[in-house]
Amino acid sequence: MHEASIALSLLDAAGRNCAENNYKVINSLTVRIGKLSGVMPEALAFAFDALKAETPAENANLIIEEVNAAGVCKGCNSNFTLDASYIIECPLCGSGSFIITHGRELEFKEMEVDK
Amino acid sequence: MNVKVVSRILEANDRIAGENRKIFRDNGIYVLNLMSAPGAGKTTLLEATIRALKDRKKIGVIEGDIDTDRDAKRIAALDIPVVQINTKGACHLDANMIREVLNEFPVKDMDLLFIENVGNLVCPAEFDVGENEKVMILSVAEGDDKPLKYPLMFQESAALLLNKIDLLPYVDCSIDKIRTDVAKLNPKIKIFETSCRTGDGLSGWYEWLMGKGE
Repeated sequence: MHEASIALSLLDAAGRNCAENNYKVINSLTVRIGKLSGVMPEALAFAFDALKAETPAENANLIIEEVNAAGVCKGCNSNFTLDASYIIECPLCGSGSFIITHGRELEFKEMEVDK
Repeated sequence: MNVKVVSRILEANDRIAGENRKIFRDNGIYVLNLMSAPGAGKTTLLEATIRALKDRKKIGVIEGDIDTDRDAKRIAALDIPVVQINTKGACHLDANMIREVLNEFPVKDMDLLFIENVGNLVCPAEFDVGENEKVMILSVAEGDDKPLKYPLMFQESAALLLNKIDLLPYVDCSIDKIRTDVAKLNPKIKIFETSCRTGDGLSGWYEWLMGKGE
């Protein structure tokens, strides 16, 4: 539901980077979105396209890399990954005691630009 | 040309949240971010809390709503500092909105600041506003399936109020199921069972609050 705020923050950060480095045009932006972040990729892409006009990214493609959830279980000491939007227990041993290591990402990874 | 960036998309929000946090710390203000679905009872809980504690704590309130100042008027009637933020469509408060209203508060003369977020079980959990802790309210009328449907908010909160327990005879909601699911999501969360109509369970919540910022 807050995909529009995220798209705006991304466009702001990209615009600032362009101004500081004299990049004229952004051809594409790549973001990494964790599956535990609650962000819907389709909604983010829609918001980005709606908000990119009159910015250096006005003709840019948004490339979204989804990141699976991953954790380290304190019960069985194993590393696990999950294609899910939440984790409530270790998928291997069922323990509820674990550390989430991936899946919460909301990261601006890179962009393709022309000088 | 490829440019590596690698930064948090919400970096700007996180930076301002950090600045807010410093202002709160420097002035000795303990800040709680109150989150729930619309209608769970956030404002009614705040009214009861302010009446109970205002002689012992200097309390301030920031009210976040999409529109109207109804909640701020209810709080202002209790004669404490309150500011209403209207997000005009945004589904959550962000750090900059909080920053912009801080100069309307007597920050040097406040112990406890409640930030009542926009009613929503998803987005407010994602935006740090500079609070010390997040507190969540779930009314029993919303049903016992909510922790697993909206896990992030339960994972992020330090305390959970299971509110409107006076309605339990009339709704199909198992407190045991909520407790079991929430314990899996967040074993450390402190749970209070409350009713602002009967006053049940509120003393435990007040006691928890009185221990904050001491």
